[in-house]
Amino acid sequence: MGSLRRLWAVARKETREILRDPVTLGIAIILPVLMMFLVAYAITLDVREIRLAVLDEDGGPESREYVAGFLQSGYFRLQAAVRRPREIERLLDEGSARVALVIPAGFSRDLGRGLPAEVQTLLDGSFANTAIVALNYVDAITQAYTARLHERALAALAGGSRHIAPVRVEPRVRYNPGLRSEHYVVPGLFAVILMAFPPLLTALAVVRERERGSILQIYIAPIRAWEFLGGKLLPYAAIAFLEMLLLLAAGSLWFSAPVRGSVPLLLGLSLLYVLCTVAIGLFISTRTRSQVVALLLSIVLTLMPSFLFSGFLFPIESMPRFFQWYTHLYPARHFMEIARGISLKGIGLERLWLNVILLLAYGAAVLSLAMLRFQKKLG
Amino acid sequence: MPAVIEAKGLARRFKEITAVAGVDLDVARGEICGLVGPNGAGKTTLLHLLAGLLDPTAGRATVLGHDTVRDAAALRPRLGYVSQEFTLYGTLSVEENLDFFADLHGVPAAVRARRKEELLAWSRLAPFRDRRAGRLSGGMQKKLHLCSTLVHEPDVLLLDEPTTGVDPASRRELWEILYDLAGRGLTLVVATPYMDEAERCHRVALIERGRILRCDTPDALKAGLGARSMEEAFIRVVAGGEAGRAARRSRSVAAGGARAAEDALAVRLDGLTKAFGDFVAVDHVSLSVARGEVFGFLGPNGSGKTTTIKMLCGLLAPSAGRAEVLGEDIGRRGPRLKSRIGYMSQRFSLYNDLTVGENLAFFGRGYGVPPRRLAERTGSVLEMAGLGGEERRLARELSGGVKQRLALGCAVLHEPQILFLDEPTAGVDPLARGEFWDLIGSLAEAGTTVFVTTHYLDEAEHCHRLGLIYRGRLLAVGSPQALKDGMRAGVMLELECREPFRALRLLRSEPLLARASFFGSRLHVLVEDAAEAELLIRKALTRAGLPVRRLEPIAFSLEDLFVIFIDMAEQGWRERRG
Repeated sequence: MGSLRRLWAVARKETREILRDPVTLGIAIILPVLMMFLVAYAITLDVREIRLAVLDEDGGPESREYVAGFLQSGYFRLQAAVRRPREIERLLDEGSARVALVIPAGFSRDLGRGLPAEVQTLLDGSFANTAIVALNYVDAITQAYTARLHERALAALAGGSRHIAPVRVEPRVRYNPGLRSEHYVVPGLFAVILMAFPPLLTALAVVRERERGSILQIYIAPIRAWEFLGGKLLPYAAIAFLEMLLLLAAGSLWFSAPVRGSVPLLLGLSLLYVLCTVAIGLFISTRTRSQVVALLLSIVLTLMPSFLFSGFLFPIESMPRFFQWYTHLYPARHFMEIARGISLKGIGLERLWLNVILLLAYGAAVLSLAMLRFQKKLG
Repeated sequence: MPAVIEAKGLARRFKEITAVAGVDLDVARGEICGLVGPNGAGKTTLLHLLAGLLDPTAGRATVLGHDTVRDAAALRPRLGYVSQEFTLYGTLSVEENLDFFADLHGVPAAVRARRKEELLAWSRLAPFRDRRAGRLSGGMQKKLHLCSTLVHEPDVLLLDEPTTGVDPASRRELWEILYDLAGRGLTLVVATPYMDEAERCHRVALIERGRILRCDTPDALKAGLGARSMEEAFIRVVAGGEAGRAARRSRSVAAGGARAAEDALAVRLDGLTKAFGDFVAVDHVSLSVARGEVFGFLGPNGSGKTTTIKMLCGLLAPSAGRAEVLGEDIGRRGPRLKSRIGYMSQRFSLYNDLTVGENLAFFGRGYGVPPRRLAERTGSVLEMAGLGGEERRLARELSGGVKQRLALGCAVLHEPQILFLDEPTAGVDPLARGEFWDLIGSLAEAGTTVFVTTHYLDEAEHCHRLGLIYRGRLLAVGSPQALKDGMRAGVMLELECREPFRALRLLRSEPLLARASFFGSRLHVLVEDAAEAELLIRKALTRAGLPVRRLEPIAFSLEDLFVIFIDMAEQGWRERRG
């Protein structure tokens, strides 16, 4: 009873202090939302509207049909139709075209004769990811064009009496049929942002009192370590949860990212998650001597890994084995699965229970470490 | 009577440094025990050990019968600790701070409301209960700090320099509070750098290098050492322990070129005013300072001293009025003037992570001292500051007094003609302060004008002239002697008797003797008619069984003047307000 009252006293005091520093509080709340907008717009992981330059030396109906295949696909936009090879060079150098098609004279003729025709594709490889995706598109469009040619040839052979069709792939994309990147970037950002920012603020919580000297009064007072740290944890967890609500609102209202599963479940588990991430901040705060060190340490330990080791940008499965294990040091990878699972797949606890248990264990471990480290003594 | 605090062979080492080296100390219930010693003597560490904040490396201590290591949990609820820095929450209001500490100590709600009111009334903080703690004056912050450690009614109170940086009027008030607490049976241990405060303690422990050199009543200590004041006693004991420290005092400084005086005035202020929004920090101050003069600027915390100095150094623009420094208007001055003034700010403004030599080199280059000249100047400044051969020590390793000498050295590297010093000796022990004032004296002899602010009124006696500022207004200007001679407010009686605190309260209940206050362990009473007052005092004290040991009219001390001027100003304001 007395314990809870002391914990509550610390929480109330901390809340007052936070509220009286509106600038910090404002940054703490606005920055994450701002981050969501920046990242969601900047990191469009799909490659669209690739700028295409075409040098059509052939000019026959076949070559025109082939180029039309690119433009109709929706992935390419015709930047320039040029007449001289040197212009292709220039466009690629300037970066105003990322892909260039060179259709040599005789393309239509060769195809008409049933001979293999060659097309040269030039790609700007300085953006490796874009180049690989673009190359795949080029491949696919060319194959589709070839298939159409075959179809026509076969039809001509059969004299039109029988329709012969090759095997067609009919892909159906589950969970995100439009393959819209916001739909999985947004839930991923829940995991990233809630680990990137709340610990920064929390990391200052204890070390600030140490720097000021007010920690001495806490040492002297009959309050236990867990009561003090618990009281410190609550307000920051509340702020982090408020951030989650804002992110969820921005995600669904602005980016129309769906939550197919249960919203209360998502919120409940995000509360568990922010308790974990705030605990990391608190742990840092109990181990450092100055606010500057605490801040730097939490940037290295939470802000950077939240992007790199959460599976947000780089799939964890494709990391080297060591780093796959390393990602377990951060709770973000588990919440990433939870957030994407609930939002995109609409799954619930029956599939996510392992992640939830791991989060629980993680939070408990970090908090106990922080409390063990917090000695109510100097020196 | 069993001792409330008992320390036996108490020691604490930090790696190479032994901060407390085997201390034996007993403090009885209701006693005020003073810890007096130079900076870095181990006072704070000793208090930390007694509070159970640090574990001793040897020996043991019991407080209220609890071992400070094993029974820390049982001890904590009965202990109060006031640390040297302000360690409350600046963004919380006075009342919220008190509430927080009451919550921490689990004071029941019913008791709390009453106790809070008592404390607020008793400390006279009640009118400020909604003000944020960070916006209180230094003296008020200390009182609040004290209240917040009293809210759970501890039996033992440990105070680490509770009056450092607090003006004399507030210091008197705080001490009345401490006496009151001791009278109620609290046991107090107070570390202090002020010798007049040491005289007010029941017993004083002189600490140097982690050891208690002597521990006795102030009277016995003075008698034993043949000293007239505690300050003298302290310097004898400490200087004896650290031979030659005083001998290092150097007078061989020739900084500050007293070039042919183009103008006899170094500073001329005419209606200088600085307002921050509604708050007028400096209110139409007019004064002048002659070249080569040591001018002391006195006033309580928040009275406008620092703001004035900042304007004179060109760090702040005045809102109104004129100010000339070395004959140049501070509003329209170029870099030329900057190279002729030196400034030492209130806080230690050197770089802790640089060595002594690096600090000097940095400031020298910053002020544009030519390299060849700089080498020469560095040598003489090192000698002046008593830091010869210590160029390679990190500034952070220096004690408070030595740091101040180094800071002064940095401020005079470029041989300024005028030197602004903002509370250069706050929190520095008497011996170091003495050395510092020797330096100021020799700079002045060499022709440098010194404009200095201070809280220590004994230091003010070293100044040629003084200006007393309060709430932004200049109340009086003159030499210390002229100010004392000019005081027409009445006669000052000095009184010595047992239990001065009880006597003080008795006297204050008499309307004619209401202006009584502490002065060291004695009482000073400001009266209109000395003969009549003497009769009254003797009657009142004899009735209470407190025979008068000594009672005689005395000359005003600067501290008396300070308090009287402020009283008069306060009265004037009250009357004007209605």
